[in-house]
Amino acid sequence: MPEIARPGQERFVAPLAETPLEETGTVDTSAPPEGQWKEAWKQLRSNWIFWVSAVLLLFILIVCLFPGLFTDINPRAADLGRSKEGPQSGHPFGFDAQGYDVYSRVIHGARASVTVGILTTLFVTFVGLLTGALAGFYGKWADMLISRIADVFFAIPLILGAIVLLSALNNVWSGRGYWGGVIAVVLVLAVFGWPQMTRIARGAVLEVKNLEFIDAARAIGSSKWSNLRRHVIPNALAPVIVTATVSLGVYIVAEATLSFLGIGLPTSVVSWGNDIAAAQSEVRSGRNLHVLFFPAGALAITVLSFMLLGDAVRDALDPKAKKS
Amino acid sequence: MWWYVGKRLLQAIPVVLGATLLIYAMVFLQPGDPITALFGEKPVSEAARANLEAQYNLDKPFIVQWLLFLGGALTGDLGVSYSGQPVADLIGRTFPVTVKLAVMALIIEAVLGIIAGFWAGLRRGKIFDSTMLVVSLLVIAVPIFVLGFMLQLVFGVKLHWAPATVGGDASIGKLILPAVVLGLVSFAYVLRLTRTSVIENLSADHVRTARAKGLPEGAVNRKHVLRNSLIPVVTFLGADLGTLMAGAIVTEGIFNVPGIGNLAYQAVQRGESPTVVSVVTVMVLVYVLMSLLVDLLYAALDPRIRYA
Repeated sequence: MPEIARPGQERFVAPLAETPLEETGTVDTSAPPEGQWKEAWKQLRSNWIFWVSAVLLLFILIVCLFPGLFTDINPRAADLGRSKEGPQSGHPFGFDAQGYDVYSRVIHGARASVTVGILTTLFVTFVGLLTGALAGFYGKWADMLISRIADVFFAIPLILGAIVLLSALNNVWSGRGYWGGVIAVVLVLAVFGWPQMTRIARGAVLEVKNLEFIDAARAIGSSKWSNLRRHVIPNALAPVIVTATVSLGVYIVAEATLSFLGIGLPTSVVSWGNDIAAAQSEVRSGRNLHVLFFPAGALAITVLSFMLLGDAVRDALDPKAKKS
Repeated sequence: MWWYVGKRLLQAIPVVLGATLLIYAMVFLQPGDPITALFGEKPVSEAARANLEAQYNLDKPFIVQWLLFLGGALTGDLGVSYSGQPVADLIGRTFPVTVKLAVMALIIEAVLGIIAGFWAGLRRGKIFDSTMLVVSLLVIAVPIFVLGFMLQLVFGVKLHWAPATVGGDASIGKLILPAVVLGLVSFAYVLRLTRTSVIENLSADHVRTARAKGLPEGAVNRKHVLRNSLIPVVTFLGADLGTLMAGAIVTEGIFNVPGIGNLAYQAVQRGESPTVVSVVTVMVLVYVLMSLLVDLLYAALDPRIRYA
């Protein structure tokens, strides 16, 4: 039966037979869609800053784990006869006032500094994520309690509080060895460091909590706990990871500052902070600058690597921040 | 607005109480006898011991000691240090020096950071911008005490442009070098913050409108870009004053500045518990008041934010 074409209408009707649908690629519905982490990794991979800092940090990590690969000289072998001698063949960074080999001290000092940074960050991230997620997710009295306690710790300045607590710790736990010294500094920094992470985790959880997919998960009957664990925390993790990466460098500097003030790691521990503190009197005289330069340089390169890594991770995880 | 200020001040009370209790516990709940330490090698008679314990409230339970400290602090009486000086006097002498140092550092970092950050943001990706980014990274990565040593050595010891150490009287001229050192790290943050903010604002709608209506480039940058970019910077600076005062402990040590950081450090070293708790209390108060001020500043600068 012929169709009755009304005037003006014919050009809107395309006969189906003349415009066949083009075949498109098949969509693999079995594979999950590209997630946030895969996207972030893609972005990270193409950032040269990430590679520079990652290679530097890998190198520093190897130095921490196997200092013997880089030097045979004992960092605690003092040769007072060569005190303050400058760089020379076999001793590229020279000797310090005690006659220690500066190169060997820089290599062996990495472990204490980096360990403090990593352990403190792990500790702070764990506690901060736990408390922040609880406060943000459960709200009400849990939020009140956690937030107020965090406020109290946050109000005490990090270095000042750490000095007081460390000196108190010295009275109860004196003569701690290498690992005792490291753990004391880690604990003290963590005590005053966790509220920052709690605030960030709480904020992130609050933001995610009210999104629709969380309602959807609840609607299909997932319990509150599994909801928190499987949906809320994974999606609130990005700002926490960024803060953790940056704070690694911050805590390494804090350890060096405390050691510089003579209250951080015991002086028997070979660390960059202790060596910089020891170099203080040399530098005042304006001579033998190599004693300060090498440990300070090693510290600065390490901190810089962590900061650059943190910047790269932020750019990858938070596209909104990628304006600068 | 006043309702908000009142609410915030009320909320600050438990924070201050908790922080002082925490510090009090750390300082006083540890083994060791300050009275014995006070007498050194000399034997202590029972009467003198009882007398001193009563004077420093050491004979009372811990919580009572803390409450007595709080009560005294409310009336301006911070007690007496173990060496016999009123703690309020010690703080009265050192606190103004640290305030002066921190304010000088704040001015230096604000002026230099905003100018450099503004310039770098306007000429993004050019040589000045790249140089400033590298400089700011270096300043943040190199610990402040190393920077302090270097500047002290170059300007104090070698060139004699400024005194290497401050010592007794802390005049503005003597404090310039320590203030530069103290402000350096924050300078880097101000610079990066201003730069990011300027870049963000350069592509904002109101700036495009200003250009479109034919305003000269200089006026657009000054009145529309810079002004709006300063909002986050000013709030950062407000919060930074407290950080600077607490962070002055290192700088004051290097340059021998007779400030509150030095006082705190020496008090910790000598086991002067009454001084330690008072100094930390002062720092906590500074922090609480500064964060309130920052929130109010934020509302004053950004008309989109109103506190009810």
